[in-house]
Amino acid sequence: MNTIITKGYKRGIHKCLYSVFEEAHINLPRQCFHSNYKNQNNRTTNNYGLPPSSFVTNSTKNNLKSSNVTKISDGNIRKSVFISQSYDVFTNLALEDWLYRNFDFSYHHVLLLWVNDPCVVIGRHQNPFMETNVSKLNSNDVTIARRNSGGGAVYHDRGNLNCTFFTPRERYDRKYNLNILTRALFREWAIKSEINKRDDVCINEKKLSGTAAKLGYPNAYHHCTLLANTNKLNLGNCLSKEEVNYISNSTASVRSPIKNLCEINRNVNTSQLISSVGYEYLRTFATELRDGGNQQIMKQRGFQLINPTEKWFPGIGNLRTEFKSWEWIYGKTPKFSVEKEIFLKDQDKEHKMILNVQVEKGLIHNVTITMPNREQLPVVSSLQCKCYNEENLSKIINALKLASTDNIMQAINSH
Amino acid sequence: MASMTRFARFGLQFTNVAAKTLRVVPNPQCQHWRAFNVSSLLLAERRYTEKHEWISVEGTTATVGISEYAQDALGDVVFAQLPEPGTALQQSDECGALESVKAASEVYSPLSGKVTEKNDEVEETPGLINSSCYDKGWLFKLTVTNPAEIEKLMSEEQYKEFLKAAEH
Repeated sequence: MNTIITKGYKRGIHKCLYSVFEEAHINLPRQCFHSNYKNQNNRTTNNYGLPPSSFVTNSTKNNLKSSNVTKISDGNIRKSVFISQSYDVFTNLALEDWLYRNFDFSYHHVLLLWVNDPCVVIGRHQNPFMETNVSKLNSNDVTIARRNSGGGAVYHDRGNLNCTFFTPRERYDRKYNLNILTRALFREWAIKSEINKRDDVCINEKKLSGTAAKLGYPNAYHHCTLLANTNKLNLGNCLSKEEVNYISNSTASVRSPIKNLCEINRNVNTSQLISSVGYEYLRTFATELRDGGNQQIMKQRGFQLINPTEKWFPGIGNLRTEFKSWEWIYGKTPKFSVEKEIFLKDQDKEHKMILNVQVEKGLIHNVTITMPNREQLPVVSSLQCKCYNEENLSKIINALKLASTDNIMQAINSH
Repeated sequence: MASMTRFARFGLQFTNVAAKTLRVVPNPQCQHWRAFNVSSLLLAERRYTEKHEWISVEGTTATVGISEYAQDALGDVVFAQLPEPGTALQQSDECGALESVKAASEVYSPLSGKVTEKNDEVEETPGLINSSCYDKGWLFKLTVTNPAEIEKLMSEEQYKEFLKAAEH
């Protein structure tokens, strides 16, 4: 399902951080660096080691009254940067959801950093067919996933960093999180970016980052993308939909021009971003946007590499299965209908019909055609109660074009 | 702050109504009745959860919505996902979500019970939650299975206090 990365940037960062802390003679609990570094020698396929002690959460602690959460003083809040070792979108979404459901963030704020293989991730109340061409994605080996937070569709690949900021609901602060990103970019590369009205990070009105959030009790998270060197061509291709008319009240994406950070400074890549965003997060006070410098960093729990496995996070496997299921990705689509104009040729003239396909819970529910005289006729199709997708739509269209011209003409004449 | 003043107004209205009802029954022999009147009035009034949902109970059916404060904090709601009729809920179960400017907020059931109806109009026009959160913007109705839960929810007054405490 997921592999542990023992080479490449992650290990590099990890090692260098470890030595930073050791040189500073800070006695950090070993668990903070619990990961491949510690387990390099004794790892087997079945034994990824045990989760850091900080993962053991006590759910009764979560009963803190909301008014008490805001009373926790800054000095009592620790921060961690978790770096997921998986590139699988479903595993990472499951990890995010696991932390949201089970972790106690009252005294411990967490920034989870994760990178995915090529995929399109849509918002919780979106229609995948209105955001992408699902059939085309499947044939191009791009995964499609539905996340739990609101907002619009995004494209991920290894050139894009995802940042999830976890806090208790009462501490949820989108502006704070976005400022961490802009400050990190400025500190590391002197890149000046802005936060616009829609809470996107932009340069010259081109988007570097998109935002979404999930608010619950006791926890909330805000996550965003950050484009380092994404394949823009793929991004554009993946977020183009089939040319038919969709009618639905599902959340619409706001399409915006985008920019990769590497176009501004070619030294930017995802591993550099992990390091700079992570450090910026750790050096900033938990409850206010104030830089605490190295002093503050030393008070935190530092960077931790995370293996999103069942051993570390009991129950994560089930969450992943759920994220990957048809019922979640397509079945959760708010009901919608598809309209397409079809021209049928009689001997001498052309008739314009409007095909209407109603889809509920991802399944084709009803198919009708509207005649030139505006009369609606039900169409009996073997595709009823089958999954809706672009291929099945074109099957219906072709079937109508081929077989039923005569029938339809008869139907017109008989009325 | 605007929402707070609105709350203050609600509070005033509430006490006025109670005072009036008391005045309508001037006969001292009706002491028992008077008490009953007040308590049934309280039940018809809204009660609140710490997660900013409200309920109002009529007979065995409770109507659920979100408070003015919550509506204001969310901003424009663009999508409402409500529980299907027939769903059995426990108190504090996640039972839906409201989406506003890029954030999906969970809706938790204030009471245990079975969903009898959801507000189709809100599903069609989620903006009703913003424009009329106590009236047209209700979310769903459920049958009350454990009336003791109602008593534990906050009254209008208590909720006002709760909001004040949370601001500090």
